[in-house]
Amino acid sequence: MKVSINWLKEYVDVSIDMGTLKTQFTEHSQEVDSIHPLVQVRDIIVGHVLTCEPHPDADKLSVCSVDIKLNTVQIVCGADNVAASQKVIVALPGAVLDKGLVIEPTTIRGVESNGMICSLTELGIAQKYHGETGIHVLNDDAVIGSSALETLALDDVVMTLDLTPNRADLLSMHGVAYDVGAIFNKPVSIETPSVTYGELKNPMTIKTQTDACMSYYGAVIDDLVIKESPSWMKTRLIAAGIRPINNVVDITNYVLIETGQPLHAFDFDALNSETIVVRNAVKDETFVTLDDKKRHLEPQDIVITDGQKAVALGGVMGGAATEVTRETKSILLESATFNPITIRKTSSRLDLRSESSLRFERGIDPKKTQFALMRACALLVEHASATVRQNTAFFDYNDLKDKVLRLSLVKINHVLGTNLDVSMVQSVLNRLQFDFEMTQEVFNIKVPTRRQDIQTYQDLIEEIARLIGYSQLPETLPLNRTVGGLSPYQAFKRSIRRALIGLSLNEVINYALVDLDRNNDLTGKPTNNMVFLANPLSEQHQVLTLSPLNGLMDVLSYHRARKMNDVQLFEIGKRYTTHKETETLGIALMGHYQPQAWKAHQPIDFYTLKGIIQALFESLNIQEVTYDKTELDAYHPHQTAWIKVQSHKVGHIAKLHPTTARRYDLEDVYVCELNIEKLFKYKTPKVDYQPVQRYPQMIRDVAIALKEDIASKQVIDAIQDLPFTALKEAFVFDVYQGEHLDEDKKSLAIRLVFEDSTQTLEADMIDQHMRVVADTLVNIFDAELR
Amino acid sequence: MSTQAQINALEKALEKELNMCQKFAELNDIKAQYLGKKSQLTDLMKAMKDSTPEEKRELGQYINQAKSTFNAMIEAKKTALEAASVRAKLNQETLDLSLPGPDYTLGQSHVLTQIIESIEDLFVGMGYVIKEGPELESDAYNFEKLNLPKDHPARDMQDSFYISKHTLLRTHTSPVQVRTMLEYGGKKPVKIICPGKVYRRDDDDATHSHQFMQIEGLVVDKNTTMSDLKGTLRIVAEHLFGAQREIRLRPSYFPFTEPSVEVDVTCAQCHGAGCPMCKHTGYIEILGAGMVHDAVLEASGYDPKIYQGFAFGIGVERLAMLKYGIEDIRNFYINDLRFLKQFK
Repeated sequence: MKVSINWLKEYVDVSIDMGTLKTQFTEHSQEVDSIHPLVQVRDIIVGHVLTCEPHPDADKLSVCSVDIKLNTVQIVCGADNVAASQKVIVALPGAVLDKGLVIEPTTIRGVESNGMICSLTELGIAQKYHGETGIHVLNDDAVIGSSALETLALDDVVMTLDLTPNRADLLSMHGVAYDVGAIFNKPVSIETPSVTYGELKNPMTIKTQTDACMSYYGAVIDDLVIKESPSWMKTRLIAAGIRPINNVVDITNYVLIETGQPLHAFDFDALNSETIVVRNAVKDETFVTLDDKKRHLEPQDIVITDGQKAVALGGVMGGAATEVTRETKSILLESATFNPITIRKTSSRLDLRSESSLRFERGIDPKKTQFALMRACALLVEHASATVRQNTAFFDYNDLKDKVLRLSLVKINHVLGTNLDVSMVQSVLNRLQFDFEMTQEVFNIKVPTRRQDIQTYQDLIEEIARLIGYSQLPETLPLNRTVGGLSPYQAFKRSIRRALIGLSLNEVINYALVDLDRNNDLTGKPTNNMVFLANPLSEQHQVLTLSPLNGLMDVLSYHRARKMNDVQLFEIGKRYTTHKETETLGIALMGHYQPQAWKAHQPIDFYTLKGIIQALFESLNIQEVTYDKTELDAYHPHQTAWIKVQSHKVGHIAKLHPTTARRYDLEDVYVCELNIEKLFKYKTPKVDYQPVQRYPQMIRDVAIALKEDIASKQVIDAIQDLPFTALKEAFVFDVYQGEHLDEDKKSLAIRLVFEDSTQTLEADMIDQHMRVVADTLVNIFDAELR
Repeated sequence: MSTQAQINALEKALEKELNMCQKFAELNDIKAQYLGKKSQLTDLMKAMKDSTPEEKRELGQYINQAKSTFNAMIEAKKTALEAASVRAKLNQETLDLSLPGPDYTLGQSHVLTQIIESIEDLFVGMGYVIKEGPELESDAYNFEKLNLPKDHPARDMQDSFYISKHTLLRTHTSPVQVRTMLEYGGKKPVKIICPGKVYRRDDDDATHSHQFMQIEGLVVDKNTTMSDLKGTLRIVAEHLFGAQREIRLRPSYFPFTEPSVEVDVTCAQCHGAGCPMCKHTGYIEILGAGMVHDAVLEASGYDPKIYQGFAFGIGVERLAMLKYGIEDIRNFYINDLRFLKQFK
């Protein structure tokens, strides 16, 4: 809402500096975006063009002598429409025009020019508001030498409000005046319009067949003289952001801004009916709106009809057939109220949002419906020489009574945490001009119909709080009756993050909405349970991701494209499917792990990632982990495994298949995806304490050569299955393939650690164990001892 | 020559040889030569057999003293040789100490995570628990139970991504408040914060993101006041932006709270004097808040005649942008490590 301060002054004393108005209105009512002069120009005056001759040396220029009262100046003007005897806007040397342009004396093609004859655009009025291409020609009654800003009533200041949708009342000058009055404790005076009627009687009958039209007032006005509006009215409309058209249209807009009540004028002769029936549109009904577009209506739309056919789309737009034109002599002027939701639906469906629909959507003061019509009639009599017919036709089902709400002082203080006394509350209610009665510190407050937003006692508490000022509220803390903390699951997620950060991985956060092509579920599972948006904004973000790996691939691509090749990332994201969203960890690595610029170092491989996962699981106390080799389309056929905890699948680890990698412009990429909820479920819940062993360990190694496709885990499992109570662990400490071995063979060196909690181990027994181990491996795996 | 003189001569000779000696092997030879079975000292011992008992005692004393002196001299030389040898070995191990060590960097959590965890910890310390909820949310929880019925004009403030007629991507984390109150059954006090991802149907630009992080807070109890809200928010502002911050509450509107306020904090740049960062207002808007609307309490099973409370909602990206002067919200989701690594 843009508020003309000159206009506001008609209702309330605004002799406050603009900075104070801005802060106070912001702190007590609604945010003020800006307060600034309507036009930023200085020292422009009214001049009279005495002579206007063609420039001797330029086709398109004229040389004018202009009377500016004190003397006559010569000005070269480039506008087509300049002519002798016009009253014009003159900027003399030293004057400042829009955008800080300072006028100086100059010579144009050999002719002296001591100033400039101005267009409205040069004053800073956007062309869309005046439509003029040349200089602005003033009315003949303009006083030569006087201020052109005052003559045009442009010496105004505009306050722009950023309104919240509840404060419909502030979509009118009257509403703003009441709030300014309440904030600064100033009286507000709004005159009730008085209309002088003509001889003729209003012939209209008006009725409704729909609940969605609550009231409708219609006045018939004759003898209109359609012309330009007075300058002050045009300026106020421009200040409000509305383009002046002609006096009839301007008056309806003026009253709209003044009262918040939209009006609509029908050409009475084109209407050619003495009946108005408001009803819902019928199926397949069409209607040509003012903008000459044929609209397909739906039964929820409200139409204004002449008893037969639609003549307006109620509350949204008039019809082309009954549009007011320059030839219009009589009008039917409508002031009505409609169901806000209905207007909202119709205007948004047809994309016909306007100043009117905005106000209907947010709700109108029902008392303003008749008031606005009368105000418009009075202005038409004054500025369009109109005659208003007697008797306004109308129906009105609105509740015009002020709502009464009950509120106690105790409640106010209980909610706000304050110690307000009765007089402070009374003072606020008085400033708001709300009538009230009070008995024993309980108020019965009459809320005027202009404040449709105030529905409950909570709304009233807000009125009191905002006008007293939130700066007056004490600062306290709530009583502590709860125990705070993270849930075990939340703490678990934080542990994952800590561990991975410690392992040199960086956390990223990606968009959950991704491209369909990208959402190809890297595990290669069927994806018919993807979650699609019904109303996406772009293809890039149209479906919810099936894995955080999707986003991670894009982040890797991003870095590789910028020559950052050593990147290790993780994301705690989600897998979204139609039936579930599952918190999921994604890890992606490429390049070198903890690289050192000047030393030879190995690139990341499968085991780098596996080591990271092992360390993560170790820190989370996740035990009984197995890696089951598998093949999935997106991944390397020999470097892909399901990760299982206690035999439950919790995720996968893999190298990207070169084809997949190429899709992302990547090469060697290792990824891991883990279901965090399952990890939490299968983690070993308790610490199982064991005393540190006092007796020394005994360590033995065995080296074997065996077929390369036998997994080392099989070998270890076979050793661990042997009935040795003293065997604490067995692990591979060297793997070799190459020289001195058959091509399909590999050599494994395995270390066995023995320990006994009750005694020192005997070497003989362990040696015997080792012979059993050797025999077993030879037998089971056809291994050869080395 | 007397025995004494011979011993003195031997000691001089040993000293000279030890001074010349550079190797362990030579040292062993020297030891054998001066203390071994064929040494002159041994010869002197043997020569003693013809002497008188008195002479024997005297000579024996001389010779034994000489033995221990020679031994000590040789041991001292041995220690010196060992030290020299260690030093020689270490001299082979020179390094260019100016070269950097390996790149053992720790990773980092995302800057948004850092802010969320920091706020979580602040509130946990004040007795709050953390509640999370689904991002795919029903219209009922996201809007209707929050006093935003269908066709409410305020729904324009939160344009939404719909999945189906009744399911959408949540536009705020407020539905978690409703879920929690229903879970608590309208009985016990509520003191929660709800962090998480939310979505709005906005085109991405420098200040808008279709996905962002929000932290909502909710306190419901019998005597929770708006002054409690103000005191709590003051603590949040100081936690995030440093001590001696002023906050300003000004009227606003959210359907789920009444009264509703926007909360501004004094500008970090100019401390309230007015500068380009705060658009010369001295304040920067950081969050929205208010007293929970009775309709929301009722829809969530709390009796508004007994319970009242406050709620607030913080945009995490916005906080990070204000705190660090980040110019473009999209930076958070590009995940350029050169960006992320700056926030320690």
